[in-house]
Amino acid sequence: MADVKETAPTSPAGAAKAGRAARVPTPNGGHALDVVHVTKRYGGRTVVDDLTFSVPPGRVTGFLGPNGSGKSTTMKILLDLAAADGGQASIGGRRYRELSDPAGTVGAMIESDAFHPGRSGRNHLRILADATGIRHGRVDDVLEQVDLAGAADRRVGAYSLGMRQRLGLAAALLGQPPVLLLDEPGNGLDPQGVRAVRSLLRDHAAEGGTVFVSSHLLAEVEHLVDDVIVINEGRLITQGSLADLLESASLVRPTDPAGLASTLEAAGADVRSDGDGRLVVRGMPISEIGDRAFGAGIALHELSPHAGSLEELFLAWTAEQPQQVETIQP
Amino acid sequence: MTMSRLIRSELRKLTTTRMPFAFLVVLVLIASLTAFAVISGTDMDGSKSFIATAGDQQSLMAFAFNAFMGAGLFGAIAVSREYGHNTVVPTFLASPRRHRAVAAQLVAVAVGGCVLSLVGAGLTVAAVAVSLLTTDYTFLVSGGNVLRVVLAAGYCGAAGAVLGAGIGAIVRNVGGAVTLTVFTFFVAPPLVVQLANGTASWMPANLANVVSGTIDDVSQLGALFALTVWAGIPAVAGLVAVQRRDIV
Repeated sequence: MADVKETAPTSPAGAAKAGRAARVPTPNGGHALDVVHVTKRYGGRTVVDDLTFSVPPGRVTGFLGPNGSGKSTTMKILLDLAAADGGQASIGGRRYRELSDPAGTVGAMIESDAFHPGRSGRNHLRILADATGIRHGRVDDVLEQVDLAGAADRRVGAYSLGMRQRLGLAAALLGQPPVLLLDEPGNGLDPQGVRAVRSLLRDHAAEGGTVFVSSHLLAEVEHLVDDVIVINEGRLITQGSLADLLESASLVRPTDPAGLASTLEAAGADVRSDGDGRLVVRGMPISEIGDRAFGAGIALHELSPHAGSLEELFLAWTAEQPQQVETIQP
Repeated sequence: MTMSRLIRSELRKLTTTRMPFAFLVVLVLIASLTAFAVISGTDMDGSKSFIATAGDQQSLMAFAFNAFMGAGLFGAIAVSREYGHNTVVPTFLASPRRHRAVAAQLVAVAVGGCVLSLVGAGLTVAAVAVSLLTTDYTFLVSGGNVLRVVLAAGYCGAAGAVLGAGIGAIVRNVGGAVTLTVFTFFVAPPLVVQLANGTASWMPANLANVVSGTIDDVSQLGALFALTVWAGIPAVAGLVAVQRRDIV
């Protein structure tokens, strides 16, 4: 990122502003992404297992899961780079390969390093522009938009990781698509870059576009997304509004933590101790927690909604395979 | 319209890296070695009878098999590095109907192989013509035969590049693609000849010489067709493989 600053110094606000200035409002044709019972096996290993979810337009949706959980494979199936063994994945109701203007419909950044190191960033984009019938003037626009204009004629092999990420993002934006599908877009970006990308993606969704982002930078995701879809070992763990999910836990301070924990767990709740005599309970309405504590004769000194961090939730979701999918609709 | 866009894109890929220039350097080296051979080389008896006749000089200038091999490596590297560098991902995102993208790739490498081979043949002819000035012999090859040598190189270059590109699409690894291409040129033909009698005339080196007009084992048309088949088999196999394969 230091390289970028040397060649094209731009403030984060400036980058975001430049991004907005260069944007043309994207038409939203209701391009929801739909993954329906998708299964993918490599050899004897199932990497995506009967996965079903939807990504609505006009929102930023985070796609979360541990390494090897099947996120990239799912994205590749959506983009017809990999074939599903079962189920269907569609964009606006059609398979990617059936779209009349793929580059003008979906902007994708699926491989972080899909560049020839001996080719300049500008030529990489010109090649894509040629293939998709996009005018070359648009290449200059997106290079400005991602703050890479100053380094556009340098060989990609000399780019930093962050600059490559920006180039990948520029390629995704080239066709001014209503759908953005990005795998780890924040990787290697400095804080200014992360902020500029966040602003760009939020603007895109605000204009009606569909933004589907996988990331392991949970703190960043927490600031970026409206909804989350969490998978583990290829299976859906949870999906819904991030705000609702964060508030879906209750904090309990009982006189008998161990006794209440076993009572609630027996009733299907996910119970974790915070180590200070308090329990964080998920998967059970707060009123039911009170009723069951009362029924068990355990006094409560505190019972309140608990807004945890995304990291805390993520670790809870992915620590073990749940028996059923938790879905919260906004 | 779509195909012309894709071909333009593939041609830009070929011209925006240093690879073609590396091949140009090799062509200059080959021409220089040919000139050196004309200037300094002698037969066993110390004479220069190897350049005494028009036929000898035409054989010396015949660049078609060199073009077939060189362009084969060019095509193999050009396509296999797409997988090595993952640039095949944006390619297939831009053109999810992969057969179009691969067809455009084949056309582009054919054009690239043809152009490089024409340049190589031109340089070789020029090297022979200039270096003959240092000997007691004059340039004896007719204009028509010079044109034939150059055009044969161009055709063989295009065919070789398509063959290499097909292998590159199958193997997807530069080292493996280059190895298999070299195997196809040097190891496979003798094996085929040993296994099937009477096939020697249909091996690439022989066919290239027929097209160049230096031998006439088979008909011109037959040689052109056979070279096309040599190139077409791996190209079609590559096309099929790419259609079915996941990009992981």
